[in-house]
Amino acid sequence: MRRILRTWEGRIGLFLVVGTTILIAVGPYIAPYSPTEVGLDQFNQSPNSVHWLGTDHLGRDVLSRFLSGGRSIIFIPVVSVTLAYLTAGLVSMVAAYKGGIFDLVVSRIVELLMSLPSLLKILLMVAAFGPSTGVLILAITIANMSGASRVVRGAVLSQSRLDYVKSSEARGEGVLIIVVQEILPNIVGPLAADYTLRITWAIIALSTLSFLGLGVQPPQPDWGLMIQDARASIKAAPLVAIVPALGIAALSVGLNLTADAIVRWSEGKEGST
Amino acid sequence: MRGLNWIGTEGDTGASGLEVRNLSVRYKQNASGVYNVSNLSFSLRPGRIFGLAGESGCGKSTTAIAAIGAGSVTTEVSGSSFYRGTDLLKLSLDQKRELWGKEISYVSQSASLSLHPSIPVGKLIAHPLKRHLNLSGGTLRDRQMQLLGMVELPQDEELLNRFTFQFSGGQLQRLALAVALACEPKVVIMDEPTTGLDVTTQAKISLLLKRIVDTKDVSVLYVSHDLALLSNISDDLGIMYAGQIAEYGQTAEVIGDPRHPYTKWLLGLSSHTDDRYLLPGIPGVPPPHVVRDKCSFAERCLYVREECLADPVELEAHSETHMVRCVRSRDLDRALLPSRPQPQAVGNSDEILLEVDKISVRYPMAPRYSVKDVSFDLRRGQRVGIVGESGSGKSTVLNVIAGLVPFAGGKVRLKGTTLPKRSKDRSRDMSKCLQLVFQNPDTALNPRHSITNILLRPLKLFRPDIPADMRQSALNEIMEQVRLPIEFLNRFPRDLSGGQRQRVAIARAFLADPQVLLCDEVTSALDVSVQATIMELISEMSAERGVAVIFVSHDLGLVRSFASTTVVMKDGMVVEQRDTRELFTAPSQSYTRELILATPSLGQQNRRIDTAMPPSDNVLVVR
Repeated sequence: MRRILRTWEGRIGLFLVVGTTILIAVGPYIAPYSPTEVGLDQFNQSPNSVHWLGTDHLGRDVLSRFLSGGRSIIFIPVVSVTLAYLTAGLVSMVAAYKGGIFDLVVSRIVELLMSLPSLLKILLMVAAFGPSTGVLILAITIANMSGASRVVRGAVLSQSRLDYVKSSEARGEGVLIIVVQEILPNIVGPLAADYTLRITWAIIALSTLSFLGLGVQPPQPDWGLMIQDARASIKAAPLVAIVPALGIAALSVGLNLTADAIVRWSEGKEGST
Repeated sequence: MRGLNWIGTEGDTGASGLEVRNLSVRYKQNASGVYNVSNLSFSLRPGRIFGLAGESGCGKSTTAIAAIGAGSVTTEVSGSSFYRGTDLLKLSLDQKRELWGKEISYVSQSASLSLHPSIPVGKLIAHPLKRHLNLSGGTLRDRQMQLLGMVELPQDEELLNRFTFQFSGGQLQRLALAVALACEPKVVIMDEPTTGLDVTTQAKISLLLKRIVDTKDVSVLYVSHDLALLSNISDDLGIMYAGQIAEYGQTAEVIGDPRHPYTKWLLGLSSHTDDRYLLPGIPGVPPPHVVRDKCSFAERCLYVREECLADPVELEAHSETHMVRCVRSRDLDRALLPSRPQPQAVGNSDEILLEVDKISVRYPMAPRYSVKDVSFDLRRGQRVGIVGESGSGKSTVLNVIAGLVPFAGGKVRLKGTTLPKRSKDRSRDMSKCLQLVFQNPDTALNPRHSITNILLRPLKLFRPDIPADMRQSALNEIMEQVRLPIEFLNRFPRDLSGGQRQRVAIARAFLADPQVLLCDEVTSALDVSVQATIMELISEMSAERGVAVIFVSHDLGLVRSFASTTVVMKDGMVVEQRDTRELFTAPSQSYTRELILATPSLGQQNRRIDTAMPPSDNVLVVR
């Protein structure tokens, strides 16, 4: 952790991530108004002393909607990517190490998944099963499986022929022990970087879905949804779109910078012999 | 002899070679005043090879690169390097580029990495010719052919269209030489050009180089860690230690009458072949940069006196053509190196422990067997050496025994029981008996595990007889036996030097309480002074415990001094297997003889390689 903080990417990145996360976590409790309370007589207001960030086309308080609207945007991506790593990641780890038929089968399945564009996969699932939180998580998990599996595979292959692995094979260790105890600690750097990048990607995918009306459903407050809502009256009340966009950007940029710092940290560690 | 002018004087500005004066280099990352190379002076003369020898980290490659003004942005170079009256270190990059490749060229260690993999070799040779001599068309083609002939490759136009992967390592090094010599340079810098090649290939390339130097009047700086090789090919020799020259002179003088204790010891280690005595490695580690306040070797020197620690020692003339940096260079005439009897295995019995019975390995898709019908026996406490060139299958044999090769035919029997082919199908007791030590200690230890974790693994798996609360003391004990401080248990492999890591690997093997130790080129990634300490350790510990050793190496000298029986392998087959002493004194097979002759040994200047070798390895490899 200290090494990550030593780089400027790490410092800014962690600051953005931690800051946004805190905002999302405590936001709903400090929101001045209910995020769904409609006030038709006070739509599209500019910032004023009552509504600090103004109101949207339905007269809802922008600040309250912003403070309450970050939950799903961090929850769904983190859960989905974690699930993708725990399933596809772990299976590919063992497959890449073992090789043979098992690897062949796993690789072909991954390729099959890969042959459809990610967004199309998500859209298909959401169109078929409806846009509930569970379906969204499942869809984004599946969309991330093939990529995660490829990254894991490459990382494992770079290690699996090294002597320390051979040495544990010669001791007669089991496959899981070799993969988890010997190989995993050595590929944590690239995997952690890929993990954060995938979360960024998922955040943007989720916002896209909300924008298309297939993600979180109105009137729930959600950053992606807010941007979509703001379209109609963007000239009158630009803050309705700008504020959630800034939130998404802060989270994505923060995660990316953190990922960069993690990569640098893991390389530096291996480079210092 | 060149008399007093042998090493250039102040006014000499490199009329015909390269005159390096007071060259100092420091890496900018270091604190100011900390130098990696300090006040180095030497001369390269036409038709002569200057050998610069030293162990890793002594600054020899840094020197070679800095001498032609090619120091990188991370270094700070001072001093001067005169070529034809101009100081290379004062030229602009553009001016240097006019000289580099044309009059001054550089050959790096790994030809396979330095030659572009996706440009045909013909173009690689053509680059400097077009750039510097504006050759084209027929004249270019003629010159390319001429160069192929010069490095003794077939003068075949088809060859020029090939890519680097279609050549063998030796051929690539010849091509790299052709590229370097394309414009008939006056000065050639070679940085470990034959390291990593087989001894027979190395001998051929060295011989070729010597012929070219003689006929073309080139001045060569030849950097190498291999003193025996340098003693054969160089005319002048410099021994570097901690960024300074410890001894410098005509090769015959330095080799024949070494004056610096460090040189003496290195030479002793390089020429040691007596199986009855063990010459220990140099204790301690070299300082990482130049030591300014005392003799830099003092801490490791057996003959150290107070005066050595008081002031820095200057390089002083011992004779007209021999300089030494040692205050005791004259009174150490009779200094002998410490040696002690080679520990012999106890309980060397007739009981056959391990039988290797006609093992064969053919990888799927491979055109031929990697190992074919290899058989030998190993008795309790016996030491068997396996020697051969790279690709001879010697390491594969070891991996088959360890159960790491799934495609093996034939049988391996341990105390009469046939072992399953794969290690995971073997019982814990079988795995315990066979312990492996790898070539490269950098990769053999898991970089993310602490030394304690690395050593605990075999204890937990193989030593149920040691209760959990006794494990710590077992670790402490083994650390002491491999002569590592106990604090190292909490460190990670990256905190240790190569030699220290290899000690940990040896400790890990012995902790399992094995009966056979399988050593795969265990010293080849280490410096010669460290090699000796590792050999000593393996020899002592295996003798004490009555452990049999299979020792795979390409280094015939090591095998000769260590193994009682030697197996010679070529192309996956056993050429000869006999008692080591008989094999080395009277080899019955011509291949064995070739291998022994190609191994450079001290003070055999030119004789051996000249008579041993047909001039070329012209057979083309197409893969």
